[in-house]
Amino acid sequence: MGVGSVATRLLADFGAEVIKIEDRARIDMPRRLPLYKDQVRSFGQEVSDPDPDRGGLFNNYSRNKLGVTINLRTREGRELAERLISVSSVVTENFAPGVMERWGFIYERLRELVPDVIYARMSGYGHSGPHQHYRSYGPVVQAASGLSYVAGLPGREPSGWGLSYMDNMAAYYNSAALLMAIWKRQSDGLGTEIDVAAVELGVTLLGPILLDVTVNGHTTRRPDYPTGNRLEHPNAAPHGVYPCAGEDRWVAIAVFDDSEWRRLVEAIGHPAWTDLDIFSSQDLRHAHQDELDEHLSLWTSRYDPIEAMELLEARGVKAGAVQNPQDLNERDPQLSMRGTFFEMDHPVIGPARFEGFPALMSGDHPDHWRSAPLVGEDNDYVFGEILGLSEQERAGLLDAGVI
Amino acid sequence: MTICSGLKVVEIASDPAGEMAGRLLGQYGADLIKVEPPEGSPTRRIGPYAGGDASPNASLTYWYYNTCKRSVVLDLPTESASLDHLLTVADVLIVAASLSQQEHLGLDLEALAGKHPRLIVVSVTPFGRIGPWSRYETSDLVSLAAGGLLNSCGYDDHSIPPIRPAENQAYHVAASFALISIFLALITRTRSGSGQIIDLSVHDAVAVSPELANPYWFYPRALVHRQTCRHAQPTPTQPAIFPTLDGRYVYFTLILADAKPWQSLVEWMDSMGLAADLTEPEYGALSHRQANFPHIQQMLESFFLVQEAGSAYHEGQARGLPIAVINSPDDVLLDEHLLARRFFEDVTHRDHSSATYPGAPIRFSSHPYAGQVAAPDLGSTHVGDLLPPAPPAIGT
Repeated sequence: MGVGSVATRLLADFGAEVIKIEDRARIDMPRRLPLYKDQVRSFGQEVSDPDPDRGGLFNNYSRNKLGVTINLRTREGRELAERLISVSSVVTENFAPGVMERWGFIYERLRELVPDVIYARMSGYGHSGPHQHYRSYGPVVQAASGLSYVAGLPGREPSGWGLSYMDNMAAYYNSAALLMAIWKRQSDGLGTEIDVAAVELGVTLLGPILLDVTVNGHTTRRPDYPTGNRLEHPNAAPHGVYPCAGEDRWVAIAVFDDSEWRRLVEAIGHPAWTDLDIFSSQDLRHAHQDELDEHLSLWTSRYDPIEAMELLEARGVKAGAVQNPQDLNERDPQLSMRGTFFEMDHPVIGPARFEGFPALMSGDHPDHWRSAPLVGEDNDYVFGEILGLSEQERAGLLDAGVI
Repeated sequence: MTICSGLKVVEIASDPAGEMAGRLLGQYGADLIKVEPPEGSPTRRIGPYAGGDASPNASLTYWYYNTCKRSVVLDLPTESASLDHLLTVADVLIVAASLSQQEHLGLDLEALAGKHPRLIVVSVTPFGRIGPWSRYETSDLVSLAAGGLLNSCGYDDHSIPPIRPAENQAYHVAASFALISIFLALITRTRSGSGQIIDLSVHDAVAVSPELANPYWFYPRALVHRQTCRHAQPTPTQPAIFPTLDGRYVYFTLILADAKPWQSLVEWMDSMGLAADLTEPEYGALSHRQANFPHIQQMLESFFLVQEAGSAYHEGQARGLPIAVINSPDDVLLDEHLLARRFFEDVTHRDHSSATYPGAPIRFSSHPYAGQVAAPDLGSTHVGDLLPPAPPAIGT
């Protein structure tokens, strides 16, 4: 759902002409999910007959793209899509395996249309193997790949992820894969078929813990694992998330060695407890984190999280307010100065904010030229200007339910 | 020919963001020179260690992030001239270190870019090279917090603080954007002939990645609240993980509004004699299902408690339901699907022992994947062997 859209959004941001094919009869899920400007609804509380042009998530995913409608379940629709592919250089898809095959859009066929085509297939489980047809979305991928298991307090259920982390990560890796293939094609002229299985990527992101299992035979199925916000390696302490003033507000603090500890002690005004013997070395502090956290929490709870962060960071202590999206958009001076979030108008939704690119590049800049297309908004331009269909032909396709 | 063969990369990285980006380039065939200080990269001093031997060549953290690289020791800034020589033939320079660390190493990226106009310089810093927080230092936990991702993660019980998803995910997010920006710049260079400087911020990378939390603020101006192992939402939703007979968990969210998964679920429960009243016709109506959701959840709890997690996963998926077992890393290594796809690979270490590593996350049909070479011992490549031959003297 999000993977394919976010992966191609990046290319659209940087100037590629991205044409999104939608089906009028089967409205894209992000157009239907309940993210509206004037109503607060959790997922599961979708409205029954949503206006597809009002959905915020679709706007978020499909800015800077062209939008057309084609009914690929008709022969004429598939022929039209083939004409569109013939004038394109990259094709991406994010369907369950088998759907594109059923429509005849296999790599061999696309190569007949475009000899050096890049065909990116973005799925949960990949296009081979016994589970390739499994249904997946972010939380399923996170569970199956081990990423949910490694997050949580010892001795209780996993806390896992409060988001589809793997939707974003799979999207980013698919963007990178497309760019790698495009760069390579510039020099060797070869197209390629790309297979990214989100589950495999999830395992790739598991990190060094996996080698602790395979090299040391150290199991993760043990009562003291995972370790919540504390670290086993290195022996950081304090290393946690501490309460701040306000309801459910927190600040993260991470201290890795003696010099960082001395800076923390100084920053919080050298209270007497910091001189206790049990806090006199990094090993001792690591061994006495319960006591350490209790003392430190008394200090943090007097501060607003961003104030605590700025106070500590100004003195060389690693600290981060647990910022919520309101903080990110309205308080964070760094994101504001760098212009990380930006705004564009949308004809139905009105002005909306967007997440931009997290790097400033001296040679390349994103071009944010439009918000997401309305359903079928670019049919005339794409089918008329690009494919050269006459007005009558387009009207005929519309009447026949092809576009 | 692998997809990145011919690409020459120099990496100076003190955190997993730069090291992960470098590893992926190396994995796909780039010639990756990792420049380390005499005491070695900081990740060499982070455990766990192979066999518990706390030596710089046995850190599994280093091993994980540094396959497919060569290690060269340079004492910067004293040996800046050697770095400069390396850069004359490099396409990409990755510098992942805070601004003060970069200064300490004598790295003036503008000067390097000016001297090597085709070079693509990727600077990965905690908060970016400009801005009021640019001098701030970070860690993975601190970046997850400040970037907003942590706000969505934890337990239903809000007396418990937000809980960090483990294993350097803030750095992993930043690494993916490092890769993206490198290839954007390479594509541009093909046309323009010029490199560029990329100012990538770990903070920005996390801040654009909390998924639904940002759009919930952009549109209804609602803040999401963390929930145990499921999406943070503006208002509470039903639990999504269920304990199973074998002491594990499955993840399953029932979308009440969709009739088809409901039908599949009831058929599945009925096939085990555990559907009870859920087969009654009034459950066909969404309103009835909504009114009785707590009862349905209770039935689901009992249903999963009498099954093993693995069989519930495969049987549920066979019935078209988006369900998954919560695998531990130990379980993942035995997963039949990953084994059938030959995802894992054996990497041989210098002492001839070998271990299983995760393989390539991207598969290109056009270019073979060569597999990984174990992370290098500190300074196992000598800089003299890498320097281009001195240019022939001009004239006589």
